[in-house]
Amino acid sequence: MNASVIPPARNHRPVRRLTTLSAVALVALVSGCAGPAASTSEAAGEPVSGGVLDVSISAEPGCLDGHGISATQQQFLGRLIYDNVVTLDENGDIAPYLAESWDISEDGRTYTFHLKEGVTFSDGSPWNAEVLGQNFEHMRDPATKSPLAAAYIAPYVDGTVLDEYTFEAHLEYPYTPFLYTLAQSWLGMNSGKAIAEAPETLCQQPIGTGPFTVADYQPGQSITYTKREGYDWAPEWVEGDGEAYLDGVEVTLVGEPVIRHQSLVSGQYDLTENLAPQNAAAVQADPNFTYENLPRTGSPYVLSFNLSRAPFDDLAVRQAFAAAVDTAAVTESLGFGTYTPIDGFLSKESKYYDPTVEGTLTHDPERANQLLDDAGWSERDGEGFRTKDGRRLVVEVPTVESSTPSPLLVQLQGEARKVGFDLQIIQLPQAQLSELRYAGDYDALAGVWHTNTTDVLFIRYHSSEITGERIGQNSSYVDDPALDELLLTARGSDDGPEAEEAYSKAQHRLLEIVPGVPLYENPSQFAYAKTVHDVAVDTSHPVPVLTYAWKAE
Amino acid sequence: MPILRRILTRLLVGIGVLWGAATLTFLAVYLIPGDTALLILGGPDARPTAETLAQVRSDYLLDQPFIVQYGSYLGNLLQGDLGQSYRLRLPVTDAIGQQIGATAALAAAAVAVALPLTLAVAVLSAQRANWIRSIVSGVEVVLAATPTFIIGFALLIVFSFSLRWFPIGGNQGVAALVLPALTLGLAVFGTLSQVLRNELEDVLEQPFILTARSRGMRDLPVRVRHALRHAAIPVMTMSGFVVAALLGGSVIVETLFSRQGIGSLTLASVYNKDLPVIIGIVLLSAAVYVVVNLVIDLLYTLIDPKVVTA
Repeated sequence: MNASVIPPARNHRPVRRLTTLSAVALVALVSGCAGPAASTSEAAGEPVSGGVLDVSISAEPGCLDGHGISATQQQFLGRLIYDNVVTLDENGDIAPYLAESWDISEDGRTYTFHLKEGVTFSDGSPWNAEVLGQNFEHMRDPATKSPLAAAYIAPYVDGTVLDEYTFEAHLEYPYTPFLYTLAQSWLGMNSGKAIAEAPETLCQQPIGTGPFTVADYQPGQSITYTKREGYDWAPEWVEGDGEAYLDGVEVTLVGEPVIRHQSLVSGQYDLTENLAPQNAAAVQADPNFTYENLPRTGSPYVLSFNLSRAPFDDLAVRQAFAAAVDTAAVTESLGFGTYTPIDGFLSKESKYYDPTVEGTLTHDPERANQLLDDAGWSERDGEGFRTKDGRRLVVEVPTVESSTPSPLLVQLQGEARKVGFDLQIIQLPQAQLSELRYAGDYDALAGVWHTNTTDVLFIRYHSSEITGERIGQNSSYVDDPALDELLLTARGSDDGPEAEEAYSKAQHRLLEIVPGVPLYENPSQFAYAKTVHDVAVDTSHPVPVLTYAWKAE
Repeated sequence: MPILRRILTRLLVGIGVLWGAATLTFLAVYLIPGDTALLILGGPDARPTAETLAQVRSDYLLDQPFIVQYGSYLGNLLQGDLGQSYRLRLPVTDAIGQQIGATAALAAAAVAVALPLTLAVAVLSAQRANWIRSIVSGVEVVLAATPTFIIGFALLIVFSFSLRWFPIGGNQGVAALVLPALTLGLAVFGTLSQVLRNELEDVLEQPFILTARSRGMRDLPVRVRHALRHAAIPVMTMSGFVVAALLGGSVIVETLFSRQGIGSLTLASVYNKDLPVIIGIVLLSAAVYVVVNLVIDLLYTLIDPKVVTA
């Protein structure tokens, strides 16, 4: 394993201390840093028990059962009430959590979990092998209406309870991402008793083994958490023992970004889970607050082309569009300097990220013009757009309706126009957008897809993930046998050189296919008052973890 | 018992209004394009399995023709079952029940701001010197014409961001209610006060006012005891407008001030095409209108016994 190829630095702690450095320098530094985690908080004395932490969030899922939702906020909310079978440690490697150890069979299809003993759910029921089986069933039970968890464990066939604390899971085919997905918030463990007795209540009254429990949930407004008495099974990387220091956490929905910022600064909230980039500089400059800007793993922000129809069925047109966009300039203005541009299809913090992809998809308007001329789009119409056989070079990009058109798409529109593309932004309500999306009726779509496994490349670009009978996330309609082969090999291989090689080749293959324009790393930005200490950061998704956070008097 | 008959007729008409509201909303939401099953299952980031999609379609009758969906909906409605929220996965009655208290408190507080202010300003400014009337009327027009969002933001900037007298948002405590109630109340006041002053000015021209004054009554008692009572009826007719302003305004105010309530529930439900909740809220609003109109109708008779309505 070559440390320069596989950055061991999915360790976010050094990042936290370096947020004031320029993003480029930061990434270089982090990728070069192979040492163990540096100590996190500034010296702040002994932790103080008690107090309620007031948190503002940007959106609220409407349901708190991770198995039944796909909302981004679950990354943060789930950590409060749930524990997972396994976790990712500070280096991004699989580590014990509710399972103390596990064995994987030679063929990669049988996982034997040895579970931690003595763990209980907040309803008093025990954690054991039977409950793990119940959770798998709950995730894929159509009644749970799972938009995400069920797909993550799709290869799971069935399981056997070997004894009270040993569970054997059988997979249909070797699937190395299995453990990674089990570490994600959406796949936290629910009480077996509740799943058996009243699964329909889990959305409003979720019951986990986590450091906090839901005391009151007002959908659309607030969630009140209280400390779980007797909690004592946090994963090692959280660095603490026993119960949480905080008596509780009060999470309030504050939808407007400007209000989230102002109410943080005024002291109404101690922490905001989502700080808008336009407010980042102000909070960063304020000595009373800690500001975090952490890259997420998975698929970065990409404008994905639809390869199944004109004009992007033509490789030259895709290459031309990619060369036309000045990613650095777009990113700078969009993120107010807080976003990092990227030119590959995998986030740099992801395992198996291959830095040799950098520098291939570059801004080169001359080349873009040349490519379009050669591809036959050489005529111009009255408005200056390119045409071919009398048809204009139109790119339709649907997006969700809002009061102002997406600033990103407006910028891309301007960039594309310079070489003669007519990028049309089509605003639609969410329902209509979903339908269009699954019908493949668009030329390009902008979006991200964050996950803690590099299998995101399979999810986004494998031909079996093209929406057909099943809803898939291959919205680019990439159907490339060579790439399919690589991605299948990668997900079937154990972590190691074989997976590394396959993922590296896949990343390079994507540069040849050009399924979209990679734009920037979509970071997790949050901020909290300096009176709050020991806020840990998750490595599955870089969100604050409050298990052993505390508030100074 | 003419009064009982009147109530009965009104109630029957009210039920018709409710049925119409339910049907029209059902139709409108049904006709909005977009696959509801996909929407329920999480939108753009979701990867629902085929079994899950099928389950959702059959659970919510989405695979049935319109008439079956509509019939089933009306049938359940008659039994008081508003159905289950797609998004919150709990009964619509619970979803609305959780929120109605907060909005009722906001609306009551807004009325508590708007009514006394309207009465005081209109009574004191009617038939005064031109410059007083111009200033007062100007302020009212500005308040009535400015979008609630802007009034709210202006109040926030002054009293929360700068002076920090009040919390910026949320539902906790009376302090958090002040600015939202003021925002909503001021918009209502702007219009109501205009109407009331115009009425008062008409009434103050009447001969019986002159009679009252000639008996030696002071100015204020004349305005309050004699003029106000006559001017009140047209203002009461405006109750429909007030209810609409309160319900509609709550959508904006609750969003701006991050408050819980029917307004924010409406917005979230419309965004997510949460049909059962949307119809539930429309029915609730229609019911509020029906009740308010009935009450106003009865009050007319109390204020002016000469008024006879069918």
